Amino acid sequence: MKDQIRNFIAEITFNDPDVIKDETKIFDEGIFDSMGLLGLINFLESEFNVVTEDTELQEENFGSVERIAAFVERKTVAA
Amino acid sequence: MNIDKKPFSRDILHLDKIDEVIENICTKLKEDVYKRFRRYGGVIGISGGIDSSVTLAIAAKAFGPEKLLGIMLPETDSSPESEFLARELANKFGVKNIVENISGALDGFGCYTRRDEAVKSVIPEYDPGVNKMKVVIPQEFVNKNMPPVHFVSVIFQDGSEKRARLPMKEYLQIVAASNFKQRSRANMLYYHAEALNYAVIGTPNKHEVQQGFFVKYGDGAADVMPIGNLYKTQVYQIAKYLGVPEAIIKRTPTTDTYTAEQTQEEFFYQMPFETMDLLWYGWENEYAPSEVAPVMKMTEDEVENIYKNFARKQKTTEYLRTPPLHDYYRG
Repeated sequence: MKDQIRNFIAEITFNDPDVIKDETKIFDEGIFDSMGLLGLINFLESEFNVVTEDTELQEENFGSVERIAAFVERKTVAA
Repeated sequence: MNIDKKPFSRDILHLDKIDEVIENICTKLKEDVYKRFRRYGGVIGISGGIDSSVTLAIAAKAFGPEKLLGIMLPETDSSPESEFLARELANKFGVKNIVENISGALDGFGCYTRRDEAVKSVIPEYDPGVNKMKVVIPQEFVNKNMPPVHFVSVIFQDGSEKRARLPMKEYLQIVAASNFKQRSRANMLYYHAEALNYAVIGTPNKHEVQQGFFVKYGDGAADVMPIGNLYKTQVYQIAKYLGVPEAIIKRTPTTDTYTAEQTQEEFFYQMPFETMDLLWYGWENEYAPSEVAPVMKMTEDEVENIYKNFARKQKTTEYLRTPPLHDYYRG
């Protein structure tokens, strides 16, 4: 799952997947803007059937590949 | 640390020699428009807002009012107050002014129908004939060290409001459709500029330029931008000095883009201008959060987060400020 997320982020930010580590802070890098975040929300829904609620739009859930994967896992288990 | 750097303070942006500042802007403006571009004067789109008003006041001082044309460019969603104040301004400075209503052009482009289609797909009960709409960033999404997420807000006839987060497709469609407004205005300004052999005098201030709060080839289309390196509080200081009408100075800056009333702070900046000016200055001039925080009565973490947001905004809007790239062949 982490690789799927990493590859998606790499694709929409025109980066090499190798530079996006599990713990890389994707918002701090300045390459992940509003469009990237909206694209990621769409991706999680289409790929993992995970619908993001407004209240879940937190750095804790979206700040890195690691956090996004953990968020998807929590949502999947809860469902 | 630069030894010439002044200690950070709340009045660090105050223009102490305001007459010299204005004189220097006027001198450069004349050099650029007359000598560099060989244009006989300037046209300015005037909205009754503080930025276009100060730009007109400076240009009138530089060129003389007889070499300026102020153009009001209202459309269906514009506040009538904008045209009223713009006319008052132009008359005060003795500048010839005309009205060019762009609603017909916008209808032709499908500006309103394309925008409303996107809003209705998110809030189906939206009736553009009677309801008002705007795009907002809710306060709870501010300062999270995350890029902003936009919501559409519909205000119904009974005053109730419904908000919904905008998916990417709908967000982009609303923005793209609304941008017809600024681009149509730019077209009209260049029509008059070319017909008179004048330059288009742009009105964005420093924040709009640096944070990308403008439409590329819309309000970002101009030959010169005299206040493009001035902070908002400095724009207000010059407004008072040059005698811009009080009603314009006191007016809250709005987007005047969507059908519902909306301040620029609510739509884009997310903090008062006085605060933003100082924090941007601090960030741009590399003042440490530990020096800025006590002056601003904030925590160092808050200042740090805002610095990060500024850096992100400037980086992600570089595309808007970049002119067409053409150096692909170096034969």
